[in-house]
Amino acid sequence: MPENFARFRRSHEFWLLSVILILVVGLSVMTEGFLTLQNLFDLLTSYAFLGILASGLLVVLISGGIDISFTATASIAQYITMLLANKYGLNWFIVFAMASVVGIALGAINAVLIDRLNISSIIVSIATLNIFYGLLVFITGGKYIYSLPPWFSHGIYWFEYVDADEISYGINLQILALAVMFTLTWLILNRTNIGRQIYALGGNREAAQRLGFNVFRLNILVYCYMGLTAGVASLIQAQLAQSVAPTVLVGKELDVLAAVVLGGASLAGGVGTVFGTILGLTLLAVMQNGLILLGVSSYYSQFFVGLVILLSVSATALSARRKRKGVMTE
Amino acid sequence: MNRRQTLKLLGATAIAGVAGLPNMAFAAAKEMVVVVKIAGIPWFNALEVGVKKAGGEFGINASMVGPSSVDPAQQVKLIEDLIAKKVDVIGLVPLDVKVTEPVLKRAQAAGIKVITHEGPEQEGRDWNVELIDSVVFGEVQMQRLAKEMGEEGEYVVYVGTLTTPLHNIWADSAIAYQKKNYPKMKLAADRFPGADVTDDAYKTTLDVIKAYPNLKGILGFGSQGPIGAGNAVREKKLGKKIAVVGTVLPSQAKSLIDEGIVREGFLWNPTDAGYAMVAVAKLVLDGKEIKDGVEVPGLGKASVDVAKKQIKVEKIMKINKETVDALIAGGL
Repeated sequence: MPENFARFRRSHEFWLLSVILILVVGLSVMTEGFLTLQNLFDLLTSYAFLGILASGLLVVLISGGIDISFTATASIAQYITMLLANKYGLNWFIVFAMASVVGIALGAINAVLIDRLNISSIIVSIATLNIFYGLLVFITGGKYIYSLPPWFSHGIYWFEYVDADEISYGINLQILALAVMFTLTWLILNRTNIGRQIYALGGNREAAQRLGFNVFRLNILVYCYMGLTAGVASLIQAQLAQSVAPTVLVGKELDVLAAVVLGGASLAGGVGTVFGTILGLTLLAVMQNGLILLGVSSYYSQFFVGLVILLSVSATALSARRKRKGVMTE
Repeated sequence: MNRRQTLKLLGATAIAGVAGLPNMAFAAAKEMVVVVKIAGIPWFNALEVGVKKAGGEFGINASMVGPSSVDPAQQVKLIEDLIAKKVDVIGLVPLDVKVTEPVLKRAQAAGIKVITHEGPEQEGRDWNVELIDSVVFGEVQMQRLAKEMGEEGEYVVYVGTLTTPLHNIWADSAIAYQKKNYPKMKLAADRFPGADVTDDAYKTTLDVIKAYPNLKGILGFGSQGPIGAGNAVREKKLGKKIAVVGTVLPSQAKSLIDEGIVREGFLWNPTDAGYAMVAVAKLVLDGKEIKDGVEVPGLGKASVDVAKKQIKVEKIMKINKETVDALIAGGL
């Protein structure tokens, strides 16, 4: 498939992948701990929360909107679900269903406001972020939930493996949820009619409307999906942190947005892929992880993180410019 | 009584009323508002209890406010509002001492007294109140970590951010104490940020365990540092090999302490801190001379550094298997 490869070579993902590969090779040579199964599992586990949210935000960005209220949505879903789980026992299926329903409901509020009042989505979601979060802190008094039901705090471990140093790892709840949500997002975007409609909506809203797309229905779907991912992400975060704190999630919006945009999604809509988002997230994760493994002093690490992001974005921008020039001279 | 007399009477009453107002205001209780780092988290909820309690005891109308997110600019706005409201005393737990410096100086120029807590480097204050001596606080925790590590081996230190003033003072003091007293111990890497957020401390710990396989100790300054580190150590079943010590909230750390992963936690009592800020405000409002050994109402003798505007009451709280339940019962 030389033609396909040539197209891939020009894409944003190609440049991002190259930067990541260079980093991975470099880190594998320079550190012992980087290229190990254990490190891979650790990274997947600790970045699952951001990853799941990124998959939801990707869909919103492609549709031409933006949502930054999802951290507040996640906090609320987490708090309500774990409060009830502590009171009534419940089980895995019910807690995930409950968190999802809360997320979807809050997402629907965003969608209705954005679509019906025709206000810019960033303004609406800034407002709802504050409303959701404000209500949560007001009603709960900011109280943490420290004790979670035992079945919840033990989590799920499949294919558990204990290595020579008696350190155990395996497929856990975080990795499982991450894989499911990325797959689901990919299926929606690439294998359904709705997915194509979402791209079209973000690419040219006017045209999509004239073609007779039901824009309201699409918006509901997009923001509810964001809410669903927030609900799922919130539970796996609570499981990892072994507690629920209403104040810790809000503030992570920009990390998620950075990963998605770094992965090639456009803030203007219509552009973005699941693969790109995975790469964007990988780049951020590998940078943080690698710098510590390399023993780089924390005082420098932010500098290097910024540098690598700038390099990878510049590479894409340069290749895009060359491509445009090529088109003009043809 | 005809109409003219009635009017005269009404007028006289009105004048008397207006003239009487300033006197009434003078007689009213003094007002103090404490601005904290963020509203609505358990730590500052506990601090608020102390503020209100002292307010009641000393007849000061004391209350607490805080921004909805950890943002120094929002603290500035809150303080500006308080200057406009003409309160008598502003209390502050600063986020970024540089950002709040100009607005505090404006408050002082307007005749408002400024009492800080956790702000030894804050300019524009009358007094800073601490319940711990920063140097001693770092040293005590290093002593405990050294004991757990058998006074030898590699350890790392976490702070909230690399620029959080107090965390870094504690870290400096702890590391200096180790270099002086425990030559067989070694700081494996420069201190790591992230100890204010459980997830970050968790991630960092997973990486640190791999990067420094001989690691025997983690010292966390910042309330979530030992929690995140403890979760990672528990998950990797390294609780016997790696000792975690640091600043924690009792209720949050309980399970990690019971399992012996967090060997001991250190803190001061936020309720005492809120109380102390109002108590010092009382001394200032009463015009008492504040010098070394002064009696702070309700808290006892304080060591005072007049030149540096520091008031310290020694109250380190130790959180371990013996004390944790009683502290939780006390609402912490």
